[in-house]
Amino acid sequence: MFTWDLLANAVVAGILLGGFYAAVSLGVSLTFGLLDVVNIAHPAFVILGAYAAYVMNSSFGLDPILTGVLFTPLFYALGAGVYRIYYSSFERRGEESLRGLVFFFGLLFIIEVALSLKYGVDYRLVEAAYIGKSIDLGGVGIAFRLLVPCVVGLLMTLALSLFLSRTFYGRAVMGVSQDQVALRLMGANPVRIKTIAFGIGIAAASLSGALLITISPVVPSTDRDYIGRVFAITVLGGLGSVGGTLVASIILGVAESLMATLFGPSWSLAVSFGILLLALAVRPAGLFGR
Amino acid sequence: MRDVVAGYGAVRILHGVSVEVREGETVALLGTNGNGKSTLIKCIMGLLTPDAGEIYLESDGARIDLTKRSTEEIVDLGIALVPEGRRLFPRLTVEENLLLGAYRTGARADIDRNLPFCFEAFPVLRERRRQLAGSMSGGEQQMLAIARALMSSPRILLVDEPSVGLAPILVTRVIAKIRELKDRYQLTVLMAEQNFNQATKIADRGYIIVHGRIEFEGRSTAELRENELVKKYYLGV
Ligand SMILES: Nc1ncnc2c1ncn2[C@@H]1O[C@H](COP(=O)(O)OP(=O)(O)OP(=O)(O)O)[C@@H](O)[C@H]1O
Ligand SMILES: [Mg+2]
Repeated sequence: MFTWDLLANAVVAGILLGGFYAAVSLGVSLTFGLLDVVNIAHPAFVILGAYAAYVMNSSFGLDPILTGVLFTPLFYALGAGVYRIYYSSFERRGEESLRGLVFFFGLLFIIEVALSLKYGVDYRLVEAAYIGKSIDLGGVGIAFRLLVPCVVGLLMTLALSLFLSRTFYGRAVMGVSQDQVALRLMGANPVRIKTIAFGIGIAAASLSGALLITISPVVPSTDRDYIGRVFAITVLGGLGSVGGTLVASIILGVAESLMATLFGPSWSLAVSFGILLLALAVRPAGLFGR
Repeated sequence: MRDVVAGYGAVRILHGVSVEVREGETVALLGTNGNGKSTLIKCIMGLLTPDAGEIYLESDGARIDLTKRSTEEIVDLGIALVPEGRRLFPRLTVEENLLLGAYRTGARADIDRNLPFCFEAFPVLRERRRQLAGSMSGGEQQMLAIARALMSSPRILLVDEPSVGLAPILVTRVIAKIRELKDRYQLTVLMAEQNFNQATKIADRGYIIVHGRIEFEGRSTAELRENELVKKYYLGV
């Protein structure tokens, strides 16, 4: 039965979900939006981050989000390494468009299969004191398992946006796909800049994986739910716009949450693409594209 | 640079070019379309590796071989280029372009001095600091390209055809600006130009390049003006 309370709850849950979607999408906004690297393996690194949180939580009782933060240097290094391989095998030879896509698709597949072999296809979850708790604000419940990821997502958005706008590396990342020769004339090495940016993108993916497993249990194939979603958010937000990614994430979160409340959860992905197509018809550059 | 030979693939463009620029000088590199001015400048900046010859920078008694350095390292030595076609970052704002100009380590500490100076030299850039570079007019873009190069606190400024695509009045202004900046920053300037009259306004001396060879070296602008080649190609005499 429909009530205003139900609606308010759905909207609030959607906003919280949006903060988390932003965390998952930031890396793609960076690698796809700013570096022109179609990293469709991004969600697989999200799941890898989720399993890292799971392992540390089940073996040592470590808080999932703390694990996520502690593991970022490792995933940064992994991302930097992946980009180097991609660069020397494809990008340098100008073969990035199709073969590069195959490379990342392969990577996605390998990570998913490796996780299935090691941990099976059972749902894995983490335990933390705040999971299961919630506060009640006049009939609207705020679940901590959604609130904490949302706050972390907002902090990640803020950090990335400050990195891009305030640091020399950040500005170089914004310029690198526009003119690499010009960037070299500024004294910056484009390959180095892209390596750093890609590393940050993968580190963000892994941290958002820790958020994901805090919100709900995960299996290796959960990545598939996110491939469409993160690219829809990135394009909708305007390629490479961090603020736009956040706004698009919240729009999508609220829309999905409303549809799930009103018509059932199976609608959610259709909603993502429905909104994307509609928005692009009106504004091809996305909401905040330059 | 001495006896530099360079080209693209099998096509040889520079056939043993020797050019010297001394500290504090403004030297013009004159030549009409396709004679190799930009190619020569690309060699200096490490964007093109010469097949033979040497290019070096002498400073404080040290002699640095530029052909062995990457473009980034050459920029770090304090050599800045205002490239042909301006090569701005079109989807970055004016201010972001300028700040990227200060990327090299040696220039970051100077931003507080250089940025106000650029805005003072080109007030239009201050007005449009939040505008995307790609949406500026051609003249504004040229000013931004020069200002961006200055943001790197260069000792040596290379300018590749600042007059291209500008109305005569703007050419005069841009050329006068380069002169002013040079005096203020004690720059050494090498400027590639087709526009003989404009270039000789500020140059101390110059070279004329024809088909990848230095055909004439003028030790003063007067000497350049008297030269037969110049009369033939540039002054229409
Ligand atoms: N990337 C390239 N690949 C192949 N040939 C090139 C390349 N760049 C320039 N050339 C050729 O080298 C020759 C010299 O070009 P360059 O750009 O040095 O001339 P320029 O003197 O700067 O001329 P302009 O005044 O038109 O800029 C031209 O014949 C040109 O076609
Ligand atoms: Mg040229």
